[in-house]
Amino acid sequence: MAEIRTAFRQELEDMERTLLGVADKAEQMVQKAVEAFTTGDLDRAEEVIAADESIDETYLDIHNRWMNLMARQQPLAGDLRLMSMLLHVNTTLERMGDQTVNIAKLTRATDGLPRVDAIVERLQEMGDLVRAMIRTVIEAVIRRDADEARLLPAMDEPVDRLNRDMYQEVVKVGHDPRRLEWATKAMMVARALERVGDQVVDIGEQLVFLLTGERVEFNEVGLGGMPHSG
Amino acid sequence: MVNLPTARQTTRETMEDTQTQAATARPAAPTDSTPADAVMRVEGLNVYYGDFLAVKDVTLRFARHEITALIGPSGCGKSTVLRSLNRMNDLIPNARVEGAVFFNDQDIYDPDVDPVEVRRRVGMVFQKPNPFPKSIYENVAWGARINGFKGKRGELDDLVERALRQAALWDEVKDKLHESGYSLSGGQQQRLCIARALAPNPEVLLMDEPASALDPIATLRIEELMLSLKEQYTIIIVTHNMQQAGRVSDRTAFFSVEVDERGQRTGKLVEFDLTDKLFTQPAMKETEDYITGRFG
Repeated sequence: MAEIRTAFRQELEDMERTLLGVADKAEQMVQKAVEAFTTGDLDRAEEVIAADESIDETYLDIHNRWMNLMARQQPLAGDLRLMSMLLHVNTTLERMGDQTVNIAKLTRATDGLPRVDAIVERLQEMGDLVRAMIRTVIEAVIRRDADEARLLPAMDEPVDRLNRDMYQEVVKVGHDPRRLEWATKAMMVARALERVGDQVVDIGEQLVFLLTGERVEFNEVGLGGMPHSG
Repeated sequence: MVNLPTARQTTRETMEDTQTQAATARPAAPTDSTPADAVMRVEGLNVYYGDFLAVKDVTLRFARHEITALIGPSGCGKSTVLRSLNRMNDLIPNARVEGAVFFNDQDIYDPDVDPVEVRRRVGMVFQKPNPFPKSIYENVAWGARINGFKGKRGELDDLVERALRQAALWDEVKDKLHESGYSLSGGQQQRLCIARALAPNPEVLLMDEPASALDPIATLRIEELMLSLKEQYTIIIVTHNMQQAGRVSDRTAFFSVEVDERGQRTGKLVEFDLTDKLFTQPAMKETEDYITGRFG
């Protein structure tokens, strides 16, 4: 039988492809934001802020297209779950972009302050871990692989741990007010990266819902994650 | 008699297989609220049946290579407006039209215009599949013959094949072209009627509830066909099915009914806009109430 509703399916696929492109961009923004903060590179920070503007534009565009598709096509079953995921992922990616902007702005705020090597290393590690998570979730979505999505909470665990331990690292800095100021801002960077990690896990949950119809909250399954705060 | 003007050079040669073309490229959705390139325009249209004013003061533009849906409750005049676009109302005794209907800037109600020529250029598909009690081949060939086709048999064969391909029916009937049109399923019969309507090579195709007698899958196939046909034709569809209007149309005109002090019901155009806009942010409360099911 000839294929039907091809325009609807093309639009669904195109929206998904666009969002995967945004996820790819978010990964690059995490890399640039961490690089900017840990090296004090203001130009890099500005690149992140500029990139977020295009993410915001895409967010609005996807939202409009989503509204139109919902109004016109009344998707059901798997299509409806995919629509649900696309709306959720669109919001999540927009917020991930905002977290990288937070890091970029902290770079501005710490311009000229001395950095602490031990903390720089930890932030770089967190950035690498979060980026690996983003790549994993992109792969999982492309391959429609729920098992791969289920790996994400375990990948997020060290990110959470590094964030929790950051306070101790700041205490170790001592009393130099300039080093201390940089370190407290670094704590906020760690918190932003930890949030990105949670957001990636959230996308994984959406994928499992798409594939199985099962509602999961990975962060509550006792893998040591922070309480899920949306 | 004046000849109806044409705004496009017919490119039959390039229409070999619309199904294949449709799969590779679709035109982008329109974004302009008022279509600039209108193949048909209706201005200040009133249609009477005797003394009864069925629909009043309709002004609309139908964009070329788009699908425009006319929706609204029963008695709102949408089918009356559709039938006025190819002078089908002329066939109803006592029907009278005021205002103007332009086809490529020629008023089709000009006394010098031949209504048969209008109906050739502006074809029509009806609610119920109505193939003739003839073979599949003859059903389509008829469409060409009324257009004065006098070519050789081989040319007629080509024309029949082309129309059936455009109607996404060829693969299903190519081995039984000389069987009766009635041997086909309801959905196939409707696509046969679409092939017959395409055979005279119209510019505009009017469709009056073309899928309301069909099952959901046959309905979706007709809709898919409409989306592929709009690359060569302009389609204007009347539908009771709002979801169908949403699925296929680029623009939607919403009609409603006004009741006067004597209880006489007259159809009117309430709102006309891009379907995306009308279905997500209608400007008129009456439209919102209808499409959300608060009225009707």
